[in-house]
Amino acid sequence: MIAVQARGVSKVFGEGALAFQALAEIDLEVPRGELLMLAGPSGSGKTTLLSIIGCVLSATSGALELFGEDVTRLKAKELPALRLSSIGFVFQGHNLIASLSAVDNVALTLRMQGVAVSKATARAKELLDRVGLAGKLSSMPNELSGGQRQRVAIARALAGSPPLLLADEPTAALDAKSGLVVTELLKELNRESGVTVIVVTHDNRIFHLADRIVHLADGRIVDGNPHEGT
Amino acid sequence: MSLPERTQRSGRGGRLRVMLSVGLYMMFHDKAKLVGTVVGVVFAVVLAVQQLSILFGLLDKNVMFIDNAGADIWIVPPGTDKLQPGSPMGNGVLDRARATEGVEIAEPLVFGGASLKKPSGGVEGVTLIGTTYPSFLGGPWNVVAGSRDALAQPDTVVFEDSEREKYGSLDLDSVRELSGRRVRVGGFTWGLLPFGPAYAFAELGLAREITGTPSDKMSFVLVKVRGGADVEAVRARLSERIPEQSAITRQAYSRTVVLTLLRDQLGASFATSTAFGLIIGFVIVALSMFSSVLDNLREFGTLKAIGCTNWDLTFLIFGQAIVYALAGSLIGLGLATSAAEGIRGPKLVPIVPHLVFAIVPVTMIVVCLAASTLALSRIRKLEPGMVFR
Repeated sequence: MIAVQARGVSKVFGEGALAFQALAEIDLEVPRGELLMLAGPSGSGKTTLLSIIGCVLSATSGALELFGEDVTRLKAKELPALRLSSIGFVFQGHNLIASLSAVDNVALTLRMQGVAVSKATARAKELLDRVGLAGKLSSMPNELSGGQRQRVAIARALAGSPPLLLADEPTAALDAKSGLVVTELLKELNRESGVTVIVVTHDNRIFHLADRIVHLADGRIVDGNPHEGT
Repeated sequence: MSLPERTQRSGRGGRLRVMLSVGLYMMFHDKAKLVGTVVGVVFAVVLAVQQLSILFGLLDKNVMFIDNAGADIWIVPPGTDKLQPGSPMGNGVLDRARATEGVEIAEPLVFGGASLKKPSGGVEGVTLIGTTYPSFLGGPWNVVAGSRDALAQPDTVVFEDSEREKYGSLDLDSVRELSGRRVRVGGFTWGLLPFGPAYAFAELGLAREITGTPSDKMSFVLVKVRGGADVEAVRARLSERIPEQSAITRQAYSRTVVLTLLRDQLGASFATSTAFGLIIGFVIVALSMFSSVLDNLREFGTLKAIGCTNWDLTFLIFGQAIVYALAGSLIGLGLATSAAEGIRGPKLVPIVPHLVFAIVPVTMIVVCLAASTLALSRIRKLEPGMVFR
């Protein structure tokens, strides 16, 4: 079963003389349950590709299917509901809501999905326990270390039980040890729940955790060998 | 395996509650901005309510006589839209009024200027009211020293208490010269200060003598209707019987004076200053909320990325705007009413009508919602993809 299938996906920013092609005719298949890493130098288009897969950016041309559904046919107003139900995001800068505690940040996705406060909070506590933050439930983001914040962000991304989890440079703001811990956590969750994980990174210290690494350069896939980093 | 169903189990109401809750957390997290915004609303409310309370106080000064004279119907010269005497009317008007069905009492009222000579030699103007004993239609009221019955004594006048020093240490039984006529002080009223000189009250005959009004002339005729009689019907009969004058109910006369003042003098001035208060509040709230959105742009982008719609974030921002409006209105009304009490005196009695307590929060909600649209437009244009940059 294919989780993500991109066919001929291109993205051009700007128009005319200022046009810049960020992605060119990308063909990519990600099987369900895979942990894929998108690697490449800055400006290679890996974050643009992740944004298109995450339905927060539209492709200029090409088609994208998520779990067999052609999402390029969806109207813009249908995309928030798709993201809420199906895609978990882990951002480079964790992007937690500063005014919400760890448990409230995690419960937010569930509450937006319509889960009752008590059930959402209970599930959020379970997830925070799973990522090793059972003692930090009420901590505010500014009271947590970078690694802890990123683990809260992972718990938040998984709260709605999405089949697809996208992580953009999740280790970029962390030291080597914390970065490895966070990526290992993503790998464990990938194995436990079968969630498909796509990680954008240029941190070769975590490549060994990938099932497959796809390299991009100048908006094109230049190499997609499985288990390259192991 | 396919994508999960994308139904909203809680419906719009559930999402609304979540967004309001997140909005409140965001507000209280940035306490400096919260305080700054609420202070902006408070400032606007205090400024607007203070201006309105003074306006209502000034309007009251102009109609207090009409409202407290005790008459149900006034017979006034045609075209009268202020409390000012026009061409004096004769006894015939009074006689026809008294003979009209439904009229219990009809009394003449003399209304004119007089000059009080001070012991130091200077003069002060008073608005002298000639009233009839013992009905006292036309005052005096609010008598705080002496008695209005003292007007039955010859050459007796009741003056305004708060002007005693101005009149040269006036006391009960003091003797002064009023427009060349020696009079004795029989009492004092409190707060009967119109826009012009303070009211002073004398018995009709004495007032006519002092103001130079002929003994068969009067400024107005005041009418009290019999118990159970329809005031409007009596007014209509009076109009019919006295076509050369104008019969007007107390309420209508009061309303006419207020509308005339608002149209000719006070309306534009106070509307401008009140509008300035609201504009200042609008600008402060707009800038503060916009600045707050800019500070938290990444958080709003994150909310969009994880599935919030523009409507969700509209609820969030509108929720914040309503809370700012209600908090600011509550504090502002408290401060404004305290200030009104603080500056309350016989010369100025700021009035905060009960209706203001309902209108101000609603107005501020409208102002804050309008002000929040600037922040909202920034959020609505925000691309969720910005969180990956």
